[in-house]
Amino acid sequence: MSNLAALPIIIPLISGILLIFLHNRMTVVRILAKVLTLGNLAVVAYIAYYIYQNGTITLEAGGWQAPYGIVLVADMLSIILVLTTNLVAVAAVFYAPSSLSNKQEHFYFYTFYFLLITGVSGAFLTGDIFNLFVFYEVMLMASYALIVLGGGRIQLRESIKYVLINLFSSVLFVTTVAFLYSVVGTVNMAQLAERVGEVEQKGILTTIAILFFFVFAIKAALFPLYYWLPNSYVAPNPVVSALFGALLTKVGIYSILRVFTLIFIYDPNLQQFFIWIAGLTMLFGVIGALSTNNIKLVIAYNIIPAVGFMILGIGLFNQTAISGTVYYLVHDMIIKAALFLLVGAVAYLAGTTDLRKIKGFMHHYPVLGWLFLLATFVLAGIPPFSGFIGKLLLLQAGLASDRVIIVIIGLITSFLILLSLMRIFIQCFWGEKDNDAYTVDKQAARKFTLPVILLLFFSVVLGIGAEFFYPIAESIGKYLMNPEIYIDSVLKE
Amino acid sequence: MIFTVFFPLIIAIVIPFLNRFKKRIHTGVFALVVPLGIFLYFIRFIGEDFQPVSQQVPWIPSLNIMLDFYLDGLSLLFVLLISGIGALVTLYSIYYLHKNEKLGHFYVYLLMFMSAMLGVVLSDNVFVLYSFWELTSISSFLLIGYWNHRERSRYGALKSLLVTVFGGLSMFAGLILLSIITETTSIQEMVLQKEMLLNNDYFPLIMTFLLLGAFTKSAQFPFHIWLPDAMEAPTPVSAYLHSATMVKAGIFLVARFSPILSGSEWFFIVVSIVGIITLCWGSYMAVRQTDLKAILAFSTISQLGMIMAMLGFGTEVAVFAAAFHILNHATFKGSLFMVAGIVDHETGSRDIRKLGGLFTFLPITATLALFGTFSMAGVPLPFLNGFYSKEMFFDSALNLTEGSLTLTTFLRNVIPYLAVFGSIFTFVYSMYLFFGTFTGKGDIGSLPKRPHEAPVGMLVPPAILVVGIILIGLFPNMVNQPFLAHAAEAISGMKLEEKIAFWHGITPPFRMSLTVVGIGTLLFVFRNKWKGIYHAIPGPLSLNRVYDWLLEKTESYSSRMTKGYMNGSISRYVALILTTILLVTFTFMGFTEGFVMDTSNLAEVSTLEISIAIVMIVAAFGTIFSNNNIAAIIILGVVGYGISTLFVIYRAPDLALTQLIVETVTVALFLLCFYHLPKLRKNVDSKRTKIINSAIAISFGTLMTMVAISSHSSKWFEPISEYFIETSEELAGGDNVVNVILVDMRGLDTLFEITVLGIAALGIYGLIRLRNKKEENE
Repeated sequence: MSNLAALPIIIPLISGILLIFLHNRMTVVRILAKVLTLGNLAVVAYIAYYIYQNGTITLEAGGWQAPYGIVLVADMLSIILVLTTNLVAVAAVFYAPSSLSNKQEHFYFYTFYFLLITGVSGAFLTGDIFNLFVFYEVMLMASYALIVLGGGRIQLRESIKYVLINLFSSVLFVTTVAFLYSVVGTVNMAQLAERVGEVEQKGILTTIAILFFFVFAIKAALFPLYYWLPNSYVAPNPVVSALFGALLTKVGIYSILRVFTLIFIYDPNLQQFFIWIAGLTMLFGVIGALSTNNIKLVIAYNIIPAVGFMILGIGLFNQTAISGTVYYLVHDMIIKAALFLLVGAVAYLAGTTDLRKIKGFMHHYPVLGWLFLLATFVLAGIPPFSGFIGKLLLLQAGLASDRVIIVIIGLITSFLILLSLMRIFIQCFWGEKDNDAYTVDKQAARKFTLPVILLLFFSVVLGIGAEFFYPIAESIGKYLMNPEIYIDSVLKE
Repeated sequence: MIFTVFFPLIIAIVIPFLNRFKKRIHTGVFALVVPLGIFLYFIRFIGEDFQPVSQQVPWIPSLNIMLDFYLDGLSLLFVLLISGIGALVTLYSIYYLHKNEKLGHFYVYLLMFMSAMLGVVLSDNVFVLYSFWELTSISSFLLIGYWNHRERSRYGALKSLLVTVFGGLSMFAGLILLSIITETTSIQEMVLQKEMLLNNDYFPLIMTFLLLGAFTKSAQFPFHIWLPDAMEAPTPVSAYLHSATMVKAGIFLVARFSPILSGSEWFFIVVSIVGIITLCWGSYMAVRQTDLKAILAFSTISQLGMIMAMLGFGTEVAVFAAAFHILNHATFKGSLFMVAGIVDHETGSRDIRKLGGLFTFLPITATLALFGTFSMAGVPLPFLNGFYSKEMFFDSALNLTEGSLTLTTFLRNVIPYLAVFGSIFTFVYSMYLFFGTFTGKGDIGSLPKRPHEAPVGMLVPPAILVVGIILIGLFPNMVNQPFLAHAAEAISGMKLEEKIAFWHGITPPFRMSLTVVGIGTLLFVFRNKWKGIYHAIPGPLSLNRVYDWLLEKTESYSSRMTKGYMNGSISRYVALILTTILLVTFTFMGFTEGFVMDTSNLAEVSTLEISIAIVMIVAAFGTIFSNNNIAAIIILGVVGYGISTLFVIYRAPDLALTQLIVETVTVALFLLCFYHLPKLRKNVDSKRTKIINSAIAISFGTLMTMVAISSHSSKWFEPISEYFIETSEELAGGDNVVNVILVDMRGLDTLFEITVLGIAALGIYGLIRLRNKKEENE
C-alpha cells in the first residue's frame, strides 16, 4: 500500500500533462479538469482515511532504501494538508471558467493549475530536504506561469518582482541544503533529525537552521520579508490569487513547522525569536490590510497576520500550540481561498476594486453579501467557526506559557482584521442601491458563489464540528512534539 | 432548557419561508410565539423555594467546551426579562414596522439576538458564554444597520460592533486566563476556587480584561459613545437590545463574576468609580439632547452606570438594589422607548424642540409616559417602582464597606454626593422628556404628520409595562422573596434577606430623595438659564471625536506606514530582506559560536586554481561595472567558464561539460534577447544608496562564505554518498555514479526538474502567443 503516498503527486502531474494535448478542445478540457480534480480529491480522501486507520505510509522511491534514496512520507499532517489543498483545488476549478478569459484557459491554465497542485502536494509529502527544494521549484515555476498568464502590463511588472525574490530564495535554499549536507552528510529528513540530535544542534547548525528559516519565511511571507507578496498576489486572476493565497504561503509555514519540530529543535532562542517575529508579522500585516482601499489588496494583506498566528504556535512549541497551528493552517487555507474568490467576484461584478466606488451590492447580490459577512467572521475568529478553534488553542497556549504581550497583540490583530473586512462589507454591500455604476449579472454571481459556499461550508463544519476534527489536530500536535515517531517510521529497519 | 436557548435560532431559520406570507400574516406574528413560549416556560421557576437547575450537553468536550446551562436566580431574572420584554417588543413591532419593510431580515436578526442573549445568561461554560456574547454583538450590528441606506445607520452599526467586539476580545482573554488557572471552564467551579484566584499574580489582569468586556457592552464611560449612535436602529430594537437586555449583558457579566472579583478592594474602587461617573455623565448629557431617543439613550447610559456602581458597592443592600433596579429599569425604560416610538410613528418627528402639547392628541400615550418618566426620576410615590430602587441606591451609597486603601476612604466620602448629583439630572431629564413632549405649546402644524393616538397594538405593550411599574410599586415584596432574593443571592454568593418598604421614616436616603426632587424641580424650571454651561462642559470636546479620530488615524497612519516601506522598488525590497537575514544570522552565529575554521582537512591549492579564481572575481566585478549590456553578458560568461575549468580540475568532466553547454547557450540566448531590448539604463541611484547596497552585498557574501567555511570545517558524519559509490554498480549497474544518482537513485528529483523545465517552456510559449495575438487584435 505504500505506493499510495505517491498518488497525490502523480495524478495531478499526469492530468496536467494530459491536458496540454487537448488544449484546442476547451469544453473537454474543462470537464476533464473538473473530473480529474474530483477524482484526485476522492483518492486523497481515501488515503487520508487509510492513514487515519493504519498510520504513516512511507514510500522509498525507486526502491532505494532510506536514508539513501528519496522517501515520501505521508503522515497525518501531510495528508490533511494535501486533502485541504485538493478541496481548495475543487473550488478553484469550478470557479475558473467563469473568471478566466478564454485565452487564459486556452493557454494551459489547467496544466499549470495541476502542476501547481503537484508541487504543493509533493512539498507536503516528501521526506527529503533536497526533494523538498525540487517540489518548491515545481510549485514556483507553475506559479510563475500562472502569474503571467494573460500578460497584462501590471501583471508583468508585479510578476518580475515575484520571480526575482523567489529565485533568490531558491538559490539560498539550495545553497543552505549544501551547507547542511556538508555538516551532517545526509538530506533525508529523518536522518537529519537523528544526526542533528546526536550533536545537539551545536556549532554552525543553528546558523544553518536560521538560513532555512529565512528561505521558508520568504515563501511564508513573514515579517519583514513579505514585501513582494501583496501586490503580486492581486495582479493575476482571482482564481490564481486564491490558489496562491491558500496554498503557497502555507507551504512555507508547513516547511517551518516540519523542519523546526523535527530537525532543529534544540535551541530555545530560535523559538523565542519566532514569537517576536510572529508578533511583528501580525501587527504589520494587519496594518497593511487597513492601509488600502483596494478590496483585493485587503485580502492579500490579510494573509500576513494569519501567518503570524501560525508561526506563533511554532514558537510557543508545546502540544496545544502546535495543534493550534495545524488547526489554523487548515482553516486559513480554506478561508483565504474563499475570500479571494469572493472579492474576485465582487471586483468582477462591480468592474472595480476600489471599495469607495462600490455600494449597495446587497440589493443585487444578497447571497454574495451574506457569504462575505460569514467569511469575515470566520477570518476574524468569531465563534463558532473554524478560526475560533485555532485561535483559542494558540491564545491558550500563549497564556499558559505566560506570554501575555503576544496574546494581547494577537487579540488586537483579530480586532483589526475584523475592522479591515467590515470596511469592505459596510462600504460595498450596504448603502443605497446603485443602479448606474454596474450592470447586474445575477447569472454570473450564481456561478461565483457555488465554489465559495463549498469552502465556507467546511469553515463552518470545522468550527461547529470541532469535536470531530480537534482530536486529529491534537494527535498531530503530540506526534510533532515526539519526532522519534517520524524517525522510526522512516528508518524502521 | 437547551431547547429554549436554540428555539429562537431554529425559528429564525424558517422565518425566510414564513416571510412569503407576509402580505397576509405579518411575519412578526410567527416570531411572537417564540419569546412568549419561553416566558411561559420559565415563569414557573419563580417561587421562594427555587433551586438552581443545570443541564449539560457535550459540544466540543475535548476542548472542554460544553453546552452547560445553569439557571440560577440571576439567570432567571435575565431570562424573564429577555423573553418578557422580547414578547412585548415583538408585539409592538408588528404595528410599528410596515409590511413593506424587510420583515424577514428584521425578525431573523431579532430571534438570533434572543438566542444569543439567552445563551449569554444561561451558559456556565466560559467559552460558550463568549460565543453567545459575540453573537449578541453581531445581531446588534445587523439590527442597527437595518436601515443601512442611511449613512448614520452604517456609522452607528460599525461603531457598536467595534466597541463591543473590542470588549468581547478582552473578555475572551480574561476567560482563557481564568480557565487556565482554575483548570475548568465552568463558572460555578471557578467560583469555588476564588481564594486561590484572588492570590494569583494574574488576578489584576483577569479583572481588567473582564471589566473591559463588561464596560464596553454596558456602555460605561468612556465606552458609552456607541449607544447614542445605536439609536439609528428601529425603535423596537432600541427598546429591546439597547435598553432592556443587551446592554445589561455587561452588568450580567460583572454580577456573574462578582463572587470572585468582589474579593478584591480594587473591584469596588474601579467598578464604583466607573459606575458613578457614567451615572453622572449620562444624566448630565441627557438634558442636553433634543432627540427623544437620544435623551433615552443617555438616560440608559446613566441608569446602567447606577446599576454598575451598586454592583461595585457590593454590600447586601446594594446588590439587592442592583437586581431590583435591573428589573425596574427594564419596565420603565422599555415603556418609554415604546412611547418615543409611538410619538415618532404618529407625528413623524422625535425632535423635542418641535414637539409639545401632545397630551390632547395622544392622551393614553401621555399617561403611560407619565408613569414611566416619574418612575425613572424616582419621585417618591408609593406606586412607582423606580423610587424604591433609587431609595435603596442612596441607602447603599451611604453605607459603603470600609477598606484599607486611602482611595476607598475617599470614595466613601464622595460617592453619596455624586449619587445625588447624578439623580438630580436624572430627575431633570425625566421631567424634560415628559413635559417637553406632552405639555406646553407645540408647533403641531410643522410636524410631518398630523398626530393622533396610536393603534391599540402599539399601546398594549407599554401599557403592560406600566402596569408592571405600578404593581411592583404597590407590592414590592411580591417580587422580592420569590424572585429578586434569588438573583441577589446568586450575585453575592450568600443568602440575603431584604424587606422593601415604602416608608422608612425620615431617613437620610429619604432626605436625599427630597433634595433631588427639590433641586431637580428648580433646575428643570429654570433650565434655559443655565443651559449655557454645556458650551463649557463638554463644549467642543467629545469622546465621539476621539473615536472618529482613532478610526481615521488608524487608516491614514497604516496607509502612511505601509506606503513607507512598500514603495514598489525591487532593489529596496531585496536590500531590506538581505539586511534582515544578515542581522539575524550574524547574531545567531555569534551567540551559538557557529563560526569555526578548520584548515587541517584541506587539499593543496595550486597556482592554477588561484589564477582561475582571480579571473572569476575580476569578471564578476566587471559585470557589475560594465555599462554595455552585451559586454556585461560576455564578461559574465567568463565566470561560468571559470567554474567549468574548476570542474575539470576536480575531476568531474561530465559536470564541466554540462556547465560549458549551459554557459554557452545562456550567453547566446542573452545576446539574442538583448538585441531586442532597450539599452541598459544608466544607474541613477544616489551615491549613498550605492554605498549602502555595496555594503549589504559584501556583507552577504561574507556571511555565505563564513557559513560555507564553517560547514566545511564541521564534517561530523559520514556522508551518504559513500553508499552511492559502493552500490552504484552492484545495484544499479552503472559505472558513472553521477548518472546513476540522476536517473535512478534520485530519479524523482530529475523527473520533477524536467517538469520544471517543461512548465517554463509552456509558460513562455503561452506568454508570447498571447501577446502576439493581442498585438494582432490591436
